[in-house]
Amino acid sequence: MTNSRPDLLLETLTRLLGPERCLTDAATRAVYALDASRIPLGSPLVVTLPHTPDELATIISLCVERQVPWVMRGAGTGLSGGAVPGDGSVVVSTAGLDSVGLVRPASRLIRVDSGVRNETVSRIARPHGLQFAPDPSSQSASTIGGNVAENAGGPHCLQVGVTLHHVAGLEWVDPHGRRWFTGRSLSCERGLDLLALLTGSEGCLGCVTSADLQLIPLPTSVATLLAFFPELRAATQAVVDLLGAGLLPSAVEIVDQAVLQAVEEAFHFGFPTDVAAAMIVEIEGVSEAVAEDTSRTEVLLRQAGASRVRQAADETERQELWTCRKKAFGAVGRITPNYVTMDVVVPLGRLPDLVDAIGEIVTAHGVRIVTAFHAGDGNLHPGVMYDARDPDSTARGHAAADAIVQAVLQRGGSITGEHGVGLEKKHVFALQIDRVAGRLMADMVALFDPAGLCNPGKVLPPLAELTLVPPPPPNDMDFQWDSLTVTASAGTTLAAIQTRALERGYWIPVGAVRTAKDGSGLGAAGRVVDLVDQLLAGPSLLGRCSVRDVLLEIWAETGDGAAFHAGAPLFKNVAGFDLVHLFCGAAGMLGRLRAATFQLRPLPETAALWSFHLRDGVLSPDDLWRLLDRLRTWDRTLSAPTCIIDGFDVGSRGVTVLAAGRDRPWDLDRKQQELRHWAETAGLEFSHETRRPFAGLVELLVDPGLPVWSRHSPDWTSLARLPDHEGWPEFLATGRTIWQGAPELLWMPLAFHARETGWHIDTLFRAGEVTELPPPADTVPIDLLRRLKDLFDPQGLRGEPKWLERTREAAP
Amino acid sequence: MSEHKATSGSPPATGPIGAGQPDDLDLLLRACIQCGLCLPYCATYRATGNEAWSPRGRLLLLGRFLAGEVDSAEPGYLEAFDRCLGCRACETSCPSGVPFVLFEHLKAEAFTRLDLQLPLPLPWLASRWRLRSLRWVSGWARAVLSRWLGRDWRRRLARRGGRLQRWSRLLGSLPHAVSSDKALIRMLDGLQARNPGRVDGPATDSADPQPASSGTKETARDPHPGQAPAPRLVFFQGCANHGLLPDSSRRLLALLRAAGCDIVTPGGQTCCGALARHGGAPALADGQREQNLRILAQQRARWDYLVVEAAGCGQELMEYSEELATRIRDAVQLLAELPLPAPRRVALDVVYHDPCHAVHGQGIQAAPRRLLAAIPGLRLVEPEDPLVCCGSGGPYSLRYPELATLMGRRKAAALAATTAHCVVTSNPGCLGQIADGLALGAPELPIIPLTDLIWYAHGGPDR
Repeated sequence: MTNSRPDLLLETLTRLLGPERCLTDAATRAVYALDASRIPLGSPLVVTLPHTPDELATIISLCVERQVPWVMRGAGTGLSGGAVPGDGSVVVSTAGLDSVGLVRPASRLIRVDSGVRNETVSRIARPHGLQFAPDPSSQSASTIGGNVAENAGGPHCLQVGVTLHHVAGLEWVDPHGRRWFTGRSLSCERGLDLLALLTGSEGCLGCVTSADLQLIPLPTSVATLLAFFPELRAATQAVVDLLGAGLLPSAVEIVDQAVLQAVEEAFHFGFPTDVAAAMIVEIEGVSEAVAEDTSRTEVLLRQAGASRVRQAADETERQELWTCRKKAFGAVGRITPNYVTMDVVVPLGRLPDLVDAIGEIVTAHGVRIVTAFHAGDGNLHPGVMYDARDPDSTARGHAAADAIVQAVLQRGGSITGEHGVGLEKKHVFALQIDRVAGRLMADMVALFDPAGLCNPGKVLPPLAELTLVPPPPPNDMDFQWDSLTVTASAGTTLAAIQTRALERGYWIPVGAVRTAKDGSGLGAAGRVVDLVDQLLAGPSLLGRCSVRDVLLEIWAETGDGAAFHAGAPLFKNVAGFDLVHLFCGAAGMLGRLRAATFQLRPLPETAALWSFHLRDGVLSPDDLWRLLDRLRTWDRTLSAPTCIIDGFDVGSRGVTVLAAGRDRPWDLDRKQQELRHWAETAGLEFSHETRRPFAGLVELLVDPGLPVWSRHSPDWTSLARLPDHEGWPEFLATGRTIWQGAPELLWMPLAFHARETGWHIDTLFRAGEVTELPPPADTVPIDLLRRLKDLFDPQGLRGEPKWLERTREAAP
Repeated sequence: MSEHKATSGSPPATGPIGAGQPDDLDLLLRACIQCGLCLPYCATYRATGNEAWSPRGRLLLLGRFLAGEVDSAEPGYLEAFDRCLGCRACETSCPSGVPFVLFEHLKAEAFTRLDLQLPLPLPWLASRWRLRSLRWVSGWARAVLSRWLGRDWRRRLARRGGRLQRWSRLLGSLPHAVSSDKALIRMLDGLQARNPGRVDGPATDSADPQPASSGTKETARDPHPGQAPAPRLVFFQGCANHGLLPDSSRRLLALLRAAGCDIVTPGGQTCCGALARHGGAPALADGQREQNLRILAQQRARWDYLVVEAAGCGQELMEYSEELATRIRDAVQLLAELPLPAPRRVALDVVYHDPCHAVHGQGIQAAPRRLLAAIPGLRLVEPEDPLVCCGSGGPYSLRYPELATLMGRRKAAALAATTAHCVVTSNPGCLGQIADGLALGAPELPIIPLTDLIWYAHGGPDR
């Protein structure tokens, strides 16, 4: 860095922030040199405490101008060293960026600055009956900015996914100091999924200043089971059995005896300390379903060898139980001052096997470990204990840790599920990421940050270390029933996969694509490649996920034919940058998909379909909003822990509503009543109702004869979208319900901005109320998207969408 | 131990802080795994965002001291310790069980090393008649200011800056409460009358009929029917309470008497010594301790508990001797245990602020809530970050008025963000500090001592 002028930078920063928020004293710099990972790297030049996104952006611009590297820092609770500064860098702390926007219950969104704590978001959402799902154990301290940067997980990610699945938009500053707003809708389908790329990028691609977070409804009923096992392996096998039986709890946690003892010493909960493992299983949903699932779970756990199973008596006890679990990491400090905190993941079915392997490693190396599991995700945190004052003990501890990583990778696992690579796992990165994918990631970082100033030295090891040859793509379908995944080659039809899955009571939770009016849809011929490239899918699923949310792993080729592999068949995986979701919805413009792995979900039990005809004229927006509100309340009363589909389609002829889940007949009667009541006031005629077991709706999933869904998979953000052509609203999505307006429906009062790239709606109006979205920081970072496209496809062999072409012409 | 020896040879002025307790410090440091879960509980970190002023940061700096990597002349080190409020919220939150209480000793040392001076000679002030006069003078000044500048005089003066701002802060944060019983009753009656539309929570409805029944009143008047006799109490006055809030103390005694207790208030007692100890005058503190112990020893009659009104005094008194520590009872604890006269209906939302010395120092958290929950119609609401200190910290707020104001305003904002019609707390320091924060940010929200509200709810026993 020849032009680096830290002295000038210091002067400007002090002028900008004042001496209290621009800290250069030795003590402060010593404190900020480390985070919870305790990995030293260097000593920062200065610590800055911006109070507004504007100040933050200015700081970044100044750093760029003076060519001084910077690192973002939230609460410094990260365990991989992602926020540790190098020598002479600027620490940009988000501690002062703590303003919280209003909860927008209609769209289930909240906008918060990146310094807001995770726990605060859920606390604010609670009065609206909503919650923010990702709940890392550090949630009382860790910030949203950090959660987004690390793609944080937590215990409650089994059913509803990790941070990536709950971020609807990000306001961020790129490494050139420019500000952008990236929404989910802007990036999917009509661009590249920058949102997914930024989430989990460990602060190397940009700095998040604020985030639109997607909230989900609080469950109506929760049951928490506590089980004790005389053997650790039996406990992990019990989890495999539990999920294999079609149950999908919201969280399944295991802690081993050592953790249990530490926690008991710290919190005096009353745990027995003579058992080998304790398990917490949490089941959420409607009360009948919860009661049913709870008793099934109890039986299964006992069969699997649990010595005691009991249910948390009340909410207080449940909260205490979770406090114990979440503070377990800290409590381990009581046993040992030093331990290697690992964060490995294996496919669920391999978990018991891995536990055995770890047992052998521990014996062979003569070390002691403590382990806490997010067992349902196959994610475990073995802590290998050592004494830093004893070199031999330190060496043995690290050797054991490396052996565990090897054992995990042999079983198709990942080096990190939620902590990130940072500094800590750089040395094992090359064991998992192949050389082509690794190079693509490195090029991508260089593309975003050519000067290497944005959190340099993290995640990626030197390119020379990357030697792994990409594995060949699988040729056909391969179901991993005990791990709940399916891998299929690009040409496999969705129908073929679903048919096989349905036999076992599972499905990829997406519907089939109906043949559209212009013949562009694919019907039963829809293939994996269409699913991934176009995000083509039928009904809204669960209101909580789309193809994007169940895609775990890809094999692909870049434009010039270099094969690579990205992701892993795991529900949690944050090793490296997210190439999987970059390919998802990119319309094939980056390369050719060869195969993909999806998550399987238990099948819903029941389905009901109601259709209403329009008598004459069109549906008023007010009536539609009323329907939306109605459907939203269903979410909470119906929400089975496994699957629900609620959605509706508005065409020129009428409205169709589908509900799938675990409704009892009386639930369906009530829903029908509600809908008919609504239809009467809205001037619609009830035409027919279909009720049957969900599996009976097989035609909906493999061959959509039903006039329900058209081609676009909804993404349930309130940032609505308009297609390029003529600017008619094709569909708008809000909350978990979707409507699709045919071009002839012109009642939607919308305010939208014309952009160079097409149409983009910023504001959704409903009569008398504005469901506002704050104006985006700027337009799409089109130059970044274009360069990303060029990186993957330098010769332009894969073609590119019109919007990108146009910008090329416009660019000088 | 070896780490300590490495630096103990250096001259005392630059020697390591806490040189007297190397074993304890080693324990302190090794237990901390730097997880950072203490950060959200630390008032100085929350107010400034500076991690060097957080428990984790301070421990890290301490470690570097002990390792001999730096000396106290390095800028920022001693300040980091000195800015610690000593609220011990970190100790409550720490999953690893780090005994942060040792910070307090370090703080005292930092105080002497940095040669800090208080703007007011607090330990000197802590005498009965001086505080009394202060109360009269401040009451008079407040009256004049509100006549002259209106009810939001504090906010107006705060805008002026400079010395005026500093004196107005002193005046604003001096604990005060309604002195006449009639005025207190009028105030709380008025507060209820102004908020008639309050929606009752389900808990209040179920609690309603029970105390209203005629039989209960009699039994309540006759404490401990068929049980052990009511405890015999010695009352520790505490200088701030006695000097500045004498009427609240009077109401407390009335309540205790109504519950059947026998109370003695020995003359000659003096300040517990906490102010002097934390204000850098340990010798004075020791003298005060001796005097108080002598007074207690002179009590001829048998007594069960020493009742302490301010949690800060309670904590200091517990340091006197282990034998005494077992006999000290916080007034709130005692009130929650004793059979008080049947409460009347108080239809208000109330938010309770936990004084750090009670909740973190003595683990008193359930008692005040139990006490408030027993009042029919009253709904207890919880604020955001209930465990974070208000920033009073005894002499702290005088030493760092700006930082203390920042913390006070944050606390006041969190309290005002609830649906509460009234804030209550049980420590004079918190009372003044939060009152000042409210005066600046939410002047419509009143704050009163917990005992005043309990006295009002339980019929105002002596009215």
